[in-house]
Amino acid sequence: MTTFTDSAQLHLDALASADARRGAWDAFATLGLPTTADEVWRYAPLGEFDLESFTLVSSRATPTLSPLAQALGERAGLVVRLVDGYLSSVEGDLAGVGVDSVESGWSGNYDSDAFSLLNCALAPATVVVRVAENVSVAAPIVIVHTVTSGAVFPQVRISLGRSSRASVVDYVDGGRDALVVPLSEYELAENSSLELSTYQRLDTSAWHFARSTAYLGRDARLRQSVISIGGHYNRSRNDAEFLAPGGENELRTTFLGSQDQVHDFRTRQFHHAGRTRSTLLSKGAVADHSRSVYTGLIEIDKGAKRTDARQTNHNLLLSPHAHADSVPNLEIRENDVMCAHASSVGPLDELQRWYLESRGVARDDAERLMIQGFFYEMLATLPGDLADVVERDLGEVLGQVRIVTP
Amino acid sequence: MSVLSISNLHVDVAGKQVLKGFDLTMSSGEVHVIMGPNGSGKSTLAHALAGHPGYQVREGSVRIDGVELLDLSPTERARHGLFLALQHPMEVPGVRPLDMLAAAGASREDLMGRMREEARRVELRPEVLERFLNVDLSGGERKRAEMVQLSILRPKFAMLDEIDSGLDVDALGAVARRLREATEEWECGVLAITHFRRLLHELTPTMIHVVSAGRVVATGGPELAERLERDGYEPFRVESR
Repeated sequence: MTTFTDSAQLHLDALASADARRGAWDAFATLGLPTTADEVWRYAPLGEFDLESFTLVSSRATPTLSPLAQALGERAGLVVRLVDGYLSSVEGDLAGVGVDSVESGWSGNYDSDAFSLLNCALAPATVVVRVAENVSVAAPIVIVHTVTSGAVFPQVRISLGRSSRASVVDYVDGGRDALVVPLSEYELAENSSLELSTYQRLDTSAWHFARSTAYLGRDARLRQSVISIGGHYNRSRNDAEFLAPGGENELRTTFLGSQDQVHDFRTRQFHHAGRTRSTLLSKGAVADHSRSVYTGLIEIDKGAKRTDARQTNHNLLLSPHAHADSVPNLEIRENDVMCAHASSVGPLDELQRWYLESRGVARDDAERLMIQGFFYEMLATLPGDLADVVERDLGEVLGQVRIVTP
Repeated sequence: MSVLSISNLHVDVAGKQVLKGFDLTMSSGEVHVIMGPNGSGKSTLAHALAGHPGYQVREGSVRIDGVELLDLSPTERARHGLFLALQHPMEVPGVRPLDMLAAAGASREDLMGRMREEARRVELRPEVLERFLNVDLSGGERKRAEMVQLSILRPKFAMLDEIDSGLDVDALGAVARRLREATEEWECGVLAITHFRRLLHELTPTMIHVVSAGRVVATGGPELAERLERDGYEPFRVESR
């Protein structure tokens, strides 16, 4: 049987920029896979994880689109389709928007993150979505990832020119028994504005290690939502770095855990420059025997005066066997800042439920309404038509979750 | 024609006896007003009837047309025609009024249209109907919004807990007018709990009940309110039993 390492070596030999990629591969080999002794991985079920059991996909599959992917695509101005990380098609045409598949490089970033290093070594290419300066994109851009099987390393870069505006939805599904390791970078030039929603609907058998980093220029605005449903283990790290003053970042991350899933969310709001504002809202619900952890870091450099950074985390427990942890961290090297964090963990509010019941709503329906409601505000970055599609889908998923009141 | 009858109701709150043998009977289309000093058990009555989890009924009976409500869940009580408007209507983030009303059994047919019409009648900005239940609403808007709920659900009996607290004159007028019309439109019985007489200018009571130490100590017509206004609650005070 082919191992991961064998398939990776074959893949590397076939790539053009093999040298840079081998640098990433060697860095990975030196670093090795993390263990749960490592603080940032202590909640991951790495004992069950066997990297060598996954092999890189060698043939290009052409799977059909899922109905949900189809529905999202129909409501977009431009559909960028990736299959197992390979750019497969670009449908539609939007003035000022370009899509390319470029050879991935490795700049020495991510040198302490094993999975990102693997992505840098093994991503088929970097799919770049570029919005030209001063362009306000007329319709949403939808990126659809379909994962078939094996080990998959998609790499995406969204790049907004000065004073441009765009709305992007990044959707992923499939991935039965797969290892999915996406790496994304978002570059927002001066005064640009991006609304970005990631909807992760992988199979619940998949291992998912996702990382994204946003770089915000002067006065740039990013509103981002990350919604995760699938994955046996779902790790989602989302960073924002303010490179110049005046930027704004609003990040919402959310998940629904069921069965024995583990959702492991990490965020980092990194303020290098002053007069920048970041607001982070993390909300998740855990049912059955699922677990979640949210770890958030606010980092403010010396000199980043008048920074405003906030972090809020709310977790809903839908079963007495589910568990949620919340770990806020602050590293502040400047005094003239405003910083706040808050978190809560608990079951559905009994009095809110009673209020609905006292109007004549049955208990089960009241609980469904409240759980749906818990998630609705997390869909705020989705453009109208697409929000309806996601809301309906989320409603169906929530309808299947078993709620056990303590 | 329906009858609500409360008899010998005993209710505890946090282990303390609050209602101690409360009796009241009323019929469709009537307006009954419960008045009494703080701590006399007025709000306890409303919450216990609606099945609030913090209130333990020890003894007694509450029936609508012979059906014992105390054996029923809060949902079933509402579906048997009981509606409670709260002193502080609760915020339920993420739940839209329309979805709540549909789940409560309201017909979906032109539901938003009917809600808008009801909002107009109580001078509630229609945008409020799109917001999550009571979230970011002023005290007055919350009570007007509950009148919209009431008008869509059309209960047999509506209990209004401290209906006038936190309301300005305009809001109170709008709410009281809507209740008066409800008593005619579908013969809604109104059981209003209040501290003040102000409400009675808009809503003529059939009966006034004075509550002290957990039970009704005096019952009479509108003239009773005048006596309360003049003499206060002191003449009605009874020792706790």
